[in-house]
Amino acid sequence: MKQSRPFPTLITGMLILIIANLMFGAVSIPLNEILKGFQQGSDNYFTLHEYRLPRTLLAVLVGAMMALSGALVQGVIRNPLASPDVLGVSHGAGLAAVIYMTYFPASSIDWLPAVALVGGLLAALILWWLCGQSSSAIKLAITGVALAALYASGVDFLMLVKPLEINNALLWLTGSLWGRGWHQLMMILPWLLLIPVAFWLAKSLNLIHLGDDTAMSLGINANKLRLVSLAVAVGLTASCVAVCGPIGFLGLVAPHLTRKLVGGRHQTLLPATMLVGAILLLVADLVARTIDPPIELPAGLMTAIIGAPYFLWLLFRTK
Amino acid sequence: MSLSTHNLSVGYHNNIVVDQVNLTIPEGKIIALLGPNGCGKSTLLKAMARILPPMAGQVQWQGQNLHKIPSKQLARKLALLPQTQPIPEGIKVVDLVSYGRSPYTGFWGRINAEDKRIIKRVMQETKITELANQLVSELSGGQRQRVWLAMTLAQDTPYLLLDEPTTYMDLNHQVELMHLLRQFNKQGKTIITVLHDINQAARYCDHLILMKHGEIIRQGSPETVLTKALLKSVFSLNAQIHQDPIAKTPMCVVE
Amino acid sequence: MKFLSFPYSGQCLVLSLLLCLVGWISLFSWSVIPISPHDALSALYAMNDDNIAHRIVHDLRLPRAMIGAIVGACLAAAGVVMQGLTQNPLASPSVLGINAGAALGMAIVSTITPWFGLLGTSMAAMVGGGLAWALVMLLGNAWKTGGEHGRLVLAGVAISTLCAALTKAVIIIEEDQASGVLTWLAGSLTDARWQTLDQLWPIALLGLLGTLLISQSLNLLQLGDDNARNLGVSLLWVKLGGSFLVLLLVGSAISAVGAIGFVGLLVPHMARMLCGQDHRKFLPIAMLMGACLVVLSDTISRAIIFPMETPAGAILALIGAPFFIYLVRKRTL
Repeated sequence: MKQSRPFPTLITGMLILIIANLMFGAVSIPLNEILKGFQQGSDNYFTLHEYRLPRTLLAVLVGAMMALSGALVQGVIRNPLASPDVLGVSHGAGLAAVIYMTYFPASSIDWLPAVALVGGLLAALILWWLCGQSSSAIKLAITGVALAALYASGVDFLMLVKPLEINNALLWLTGSLWGRGWHQLMMILPWLLLIPVAFWLAKSLNLIHLGDDTAMSLGINANKLRLVSLAVAVGLTASCVAVCGPIGFLGLVAPHLTRKLVGGRHQTLLPATMLVGAILLLVADLVARTIDPPIELPAGLMTAIIGAPYFLWLLFRTK
Repeated sequence: MSLSTHNLSVGYHNNIVVDQVNLTIPEGKIIALLGPNGCGKSTLLKAMARILPPMAGQVQWQGQNLHKIPSKQLARKLALLPQTQPIPEGIKVVDLVSYGRSPYTGFWGRINAEDKRIIKRVMQETKITELANQLVSELSGGQRQRVWLAMTLAQDTPYLLLDEPTTYMDLNHQVELMHLLRQFNKQGKTIITVLHDINQAARYCDHLILMKHGEIIRQGSPETVLTKALLKSVFSLNAQIHQDPIAKTPMCVVE
Repeated sequence: MKFLSFPYSGQCLVLSLLLCLVGWISLFSWSVIPISPHDALSALYAMNDDNIAHRIVHDLRLPRAMIGAIVGACLAAAGVVMQGLTQNPLASPSVLGINAGAALGMAIVSTITPWFGLLGTSMAAMVGGGLAWALVMLLGNAWKTGGEHGRLVLAGVAISTLCAALTKAVIIIEEDQASGVLTWLAGSLTDARWQTLDQLWPIALLGLLGTLLISQSLNLLQLGDDNARNLGVSLLWVKLGGSFLVLLLVGSAISAVGAIGFVGLLVPHMARMLCGQDHRKFLPIAMLMGACLVVLSDTISRAIIFPMETPAGAILALIGAPFFIYLVRKRTL
């Protein structure tokens, strides 16, 4: 019962939000105009087709991938506080991307996801090196947060030394969907291949929750699983960061909420968390765009405003 | 009549641990608080040292409400050695002991010749003089306990309250400590201590207070408190009372 | 390592001289209009109004260096007091949310009700920082010393993130151009003038003297709450008073130059390495070191992309974050 019901609700919710995202913004477009708007030459064609549609789709993909990445990390490191952004992976990827853009401005933007991936992997390795395998939940989180602060101050510093356009700066500091279009959407499409890999891991992730020894006796190579899952998680995060900057707390909050909705079985948890992540980012971006148009807030600010209190709440439940 | 409690109830949150206790501490004696775990003996001690505020009733010092007396003034009258101590980093033994003088010093904690004399004396008494320049964090558990005791002694108070002072010590240091307490008692200090070991209490203390479920069951000299019937009802122990062949005090032997 | 074994008065003297030296260098170095080292000195005692180098030193560089020194001393002292009150080696204004809270308070007041003026903004910084800190301490269960260190720090980080996000949101909504704000959020001495100094020093002096007054109580707090109380320390007053001093120091520093971070984390540890755990001794040392550090990083911040400037706070964050990680690793949390 518990597993079958949430999906229709979540999908409906997501569809409604997609439509809302297309309708509202600096200019509101009525519902009946939206379908017409996709025909070339109509009044709203440009706004819808070139601006809102790719951005909305991007929100769906990025939200889903970030959430999935968070679920993988939490599944492997049995630590409720873990997520790519708390562990510093997002900011590491962001720093790599910013270094690439400021020091090689001539090179193609299409390499950005790969560069971000390298940064994310490096960040994960550094964290591993600093904490080792046996660290308490709190210590791991503090080290991750400290590393994230370090990378963020690096980004901050580069932004101030080599000023980019300010919206670009806010993008890299807080994460934003501002000005993202079809090109960026195409950039992350190849990375969607990681999603089936994640689903393929789902069964083993269930078993590893029983403890390494039990998982081992059930035929799972715990260390290998951990390595693969984390690599996939870093890949998902890095590709999102390359496009939207480090959007905070999404990877932390979405899996937790989903676990409340559908329970901890990864076969349902993983797809459901993708929907929840997409919904969260759609809401965040919608609010960020409509709170005071035509000025728009970075979506990363909105997720931080929701996510930080949630993190606090988690913190005080963690033993 | 210096220290007494009047209908004192103390506890944590809404949990009453010490229930309406009336107690007058006999002056100039060594008093032991005894009882099974959770009977409220440490809680009572902390309340008498104004660490825990009363939920009802009061603790009185010379007829005044103890919790209303300015903290610094009271710190010259009674000193407490808590059961567990933090391990401060980077503090030398002699510095820690000198902190015991702070109830007498000004805001800057400046130490005068008199303070120095007392610090030197208590360090000799507790045999930690040769540790003076070591860091507290590098000492063994027993040494550390003596350092903290020295700090408490440096407060130079007529009343000394100790919460299970012998727990972390080797047997020889336990005996040493109890002798030391006797020596301080002869110098005129009133000593109140929570103890686990009934025989230790009977041998070294003048006045025993037996507690159970937050109430005082019996108090008085070791001979009157250590009876077969009381041990049975308080500790659920079948024990015989014999006489200590050396000290001639009562001694309980478990059956 | 020889410096470590200097007698205390020698350490103080060396640091004071170092501060003078750093301050002097900051007066003439990296200027678009060349200023000679000699100009920097003569502007102090034989000011010539027609000499442009003198004018720059007197009107811009001197107040800037002095504000830097005061701010550094304030933040370092605040860090010492916070670490003393919480008995947490990671406690500092930036880690426990005071910086971010103060920035949020100022952002709200200066964008929504700009007519309060400068006094209003420093009040807002104190109130905002105070609220954020109180929340962190409450959530981290740290009013009783010896609480869980890690939890307090994570609570601080989360509150900081929240406040920072809200600050940016307020700023972006209220004014379109945000680059100035970005600089201010990182903390910069670029706009430090005599006027700022006039407002800063009385409060700062009060706060710094106050910390010296409670330094012996901080020593006793190291022994734990029960022992401190047993020794006659009034915990309530020390904790309330200490918190108030921290807010006074951090609030005035932040309203003068923005949210400079990590000085309060870094400096107390450096000072402790020099002269041990006695707060009466290392508090003045920490103040001197903090002053040197901020003036120095301000000078570096002018040098990096000369003739443009980077915020001094950004440089401190780059030094401070690795140190933070080092502390997390070293300490058992």
